Amino acid sequence: MMSVALPRQRFALLIGIVGLALLCLFFLFPLSRIFDASFLDPKGTHLTLANYGKILGSGFYQQAIANSFEIGAFATLLTVLLAVPLAFALARLSIAGKSALLALVVLPLVLPSFVSAYALLLMLGRAGLATQALRDLGIPFGSIYGTPGIVAVYTLTLYPYVLLPTLAGLKAIDVSVEEASRNLGASRWRGFWTVTLPIVVPSVLSGALLVFIETLENFGVPIVLAEDKPILSVEAFKLFVGETDQNPSSAGVLGVLLIVSTALVLLIQRHYLARRRFATGARRSPPLIPIGRASLVAASVACWAVVLSSLLPFFAVVVLSFMKFRGPVLQGGFSLDNFADLLGRSARPLENTLMLSGLAAVIAALIGVPIGYAITRFRSTLTNILEIVATMPFAVAGTVLGIGLIISFNSGALVLTGGWLIMVIAYVVRKLPFSVRSSASILHQIDPSLEEASINLGVAPVMTFARLTVPLMLGGIIGGMVLTWVTVSSELSATVVLYSGEWQTLTVVMFQALEGTGAGTAVAAASLLVVITLVPLAFVYRLLRRYEASLL
Amino acid sequence: MANITLDGVNRSFGSVRAVHDISLTIADGEFFTLLGPSGCGKTTLLRMVAGFAELETGEIRFGERRIDTLPAHRRNTGMVFQNYAIFPNLKVSDNVAYGLRARKIGAPEIAERVARALRLVKLAEHNDRWPHQLSGGQLQRVAIARALVIEPEVLLLDEPLSNLDAKLRVEMRGEIRQLQQTLGITAIYVTHDQEEALAISDRIAVMRAGRFEQIGAPEEIYRRPSTPFVAEFMGTTNLLQGNVGSNGASIKVGGTEFAVPRLEAPEGTAISFSLRPEALRPLIDNEAAPDGWAVVSAKLARLEFLGALTRIEANLSHGAPLRVAWLDLPLHRLKAGDPLRFAYDPARVTVFA
Ligand SMILES: Nc1ncnc2c1ncn2[C@@H]1O[C@H](COP(=O)(O)OP(=O)(O)OP(=O)(O)O)[C@@H](O)[C@H]1O
Ligand SMILES: [Mg+2]
Repeated sequence: MMSVALPRQRFALLIGIVGLALLCLFFLFPLSRIFDASFLDPKGTHLTLANYGKILGSGFYQQAIANSFEIGAFATLLTVLLAVPLAFALARLSIAGKSALLALVVLPLVLPSFVSAYALLLMLGRAGLATQALRDLGIPFGSIYGTPGIVAVYTLTLYPYVLLPTLAGLKAIDVSVEEASRNLGASRWRGFWTVTLPIVVPSVLSGALLVFIETLENFGVPIVLAEDKPILSVEAFKLFVGETDQNPSSAGVLGVLLIVSTALVLLIQRHYLARRRFATGARRSPPLIPIGRASLVAASVACWAVVLSSLLPFFAVVVLSFMKFRGPVLQGGFSLDNFADLLGRSARPLENTLMLSGLAAVIAALIGVPIGYAITRFRSTLTNILEIVATMPFAVAGTVLGIGLIISFNSGALVLTGGWLIMVIAYVVRKLPFSVRSSASILHQIDPSLEEASINLGVAPVMTFARLTVPLMLGGIIGGMVLTWVTVSSELSATVVLYSGEWQTLTVVMFQALEGTGAGTAVAAASLLVVITLVPLAFVYRLLRRYEASLL
Repeated sequence: MANITLDGVNRSFGSVRAVHDISLTIADGEFFTLLGPSGCGKTTLLRMVAGFAELETGEIRFGERRIDTLPAHRRNTGMVFQNYAIFPNLKVSDNVAYGLRARKIGAPEIAERVARALRLVKLAEHNDRWPHQLSGGQLQRVAIARALVIEPEVLLLDEPLSNLDAKLRVEMRGEIRQLQQTLGITAIYVTHDQEEALAISDRIAVMRAGRFEQIGAPEEIYRRPSTPFVAEFMGTTNLLQGNVGSNGASIKVGGTEFAVPRLEAPEGTAISFSLRPEALRPLIDNEAAPDGWAVVSAKLARLEFLGALTRIEANLSHGAPLRVAWLDLPLHRLKAGDPLRFAYDPARVTVFA
């Protein structure tokens, strides 16, 4: 009913239309092509459920589905068991070195999880360092391939997803709530079970569901550690790029299964849990709980052990990258051979990684910031739809998005396959939810009356956005771009589907080296990735803490 | 500069009619205040003039020029926001120059006008400061300078003083009024503080649920409220209900008879009226009432000593409370239950038809 008379609303409308158009073309359309592929017969002319029948009827794929969910469930459970006590300790005990811990605990969110998986392989795999050492000592050691290894890596890299919201939840409880419970006669312990825990449960569950989504989508960890165990996201990839029998319709079926399950979980997370957050309006957080010295030391050691063991694999990779390898076997001895190997062949992968992720970071900001602006400042049906669509990429595995982009743009009016652009598009789409959410959260801290004051003084809405809002957001935007940049640098799942020829990235080199025998090259690439991630983060360290919430 | 005309203006949010068929003309150079309780639509009406809220129907004109069809940035209004809205990334002088730069005015002229505006609000020495280095009152002055420097056709102020402490609020409202008169600019001022409204306005519109309840000069609104709502909103009053008495110039409230100006209504009609606490003058001992005044008796119930003023609550014969403001209470040892007499001029009674 409302006419769109005000130019500010026209500006929002413009952002909405352009944003939705881009998302339709590069996100919804590719997804729809995957749905199409899954429902069409091999000639692509008739609708059929045969593809589903074939996949769901096959024992192998049933197993893949079961494995993915089983691993997801185990990993989610373990992350919760690890993260909740850790959050409680960090919130309520005077843990030694707490601020350092709080800084380190965010890192697993931005470091590449498949590098952690690879480190595990190098240490505890069949030819692993630790494995050999244990074997020499005559201690038998079980296999880390398959479920145990994958679950271990997921737990150690994804626990911040549960830890951070739980910590925030615990801090948001006003002291009066717990005091009231004790005043009513509940013991501290009883108060914890009946008041504190129920209040943080929505935060815990919300984080846990994100962990579950991540495990379903993840490609890098299972490709390193699954060996022969079929996993949904990996099988979709194999079906699609399989050298012998490329099978887009079967890949489509697996893609649809993945999308539907992650989307369902995300829906539950956003629409059920987001509303169940209990805001108790904390004016004063509850005080630290005094415990005995011995208990405190034990708690501190446990906290540090968890956080350090999550970071240890990355550290190990960097150290190992300076040692000699022959084939997959570590020879020992310090050397720069691995880097010489990696970069001597060609410096292109490194350049590509830096260039493509830089480009993606800039474009994601150029698109994400205006969308974040429109959805925070102008609530309307259009911006509500835009918000939903812009956060949806989070629920789509990189592999699936990559496949969708290829079937959409390898022929027809717009051909993009084979170049760098399609990779950048995939990165931008994947990082858009983060970019939008982080700019929205920065905007929440900028009073809208500042913009109104500017317009009132005669500066048109578009110019106000460019000249006032953007400069006010600048620190935040740059921080967001750096985070996009570092996380795209280690993007693997869409990259392996989309890269071609000269557009190899470091992750692709690592991926190929894993398939072959060049452990030295792989470890050098992995080590470079860790460095590429950590160095810029050190510069924007302060900003990182501000973005915790948007990373989730 | 120009007069402002609002013509049949409406705006709803869902089922709430925030602004309900408002028509109004504000004279050139007038200081016009929108006064009313929270949620009555003051801000919405002001934002319609500024261009931040849409009109559903109606027109707004500055002089002969229709402006509700113009985008907000081309309306040439100077708005002062409740939270000041000073750009934190710009220094004081750049904040003030912001609107002039948007108008593509030459640098020398900008410098001169900014300096003049800052002198006007007594901030000349602070031009090189960052906003976070200023106090609340200083920020408020920057906001006013920034709004005035563009020489707007109207100055719009939405509760500009509500974030300041009581003393500064009184000081600043005097300054705002003085500036407005010196410049002769038309101003629309929003507040829910009746004292502030009375102190600075040429005219006040009392709003209630999106409509104007009464428009008039401060004294008129205070002395002759046209509805019980206005009477109660404009400071404390005794709002009493009774029936028209036999002589046509009195109202019976319980057993007490109040003298009032002549009434048209027939005897016995239910009627309400307002009598301000300060219109009642306490009579000490056997002191006589002035000529033409009436007297009412009551028993003291409560007494609140406020310094210059003492607020008294007394009970009429049937128990209804009567509030009285006693200026400069003599050293009398009053206690609850003491009989008191108050004199009042019947002309000061406002009867609601
Ligand atoms: N953007 C909006 N969306 C929905 N309802 C609104 C909006 N703006 C105002 N309203 C409603 O319109 C009515 C008038 O609001 P307005 O802000 O004009 O009141 P006000 O008189 O300025 O109150 P206050 O003294 O509290 O500032 C209120 O009921 C308010 O809830
Ligand atoms: Mg208001």
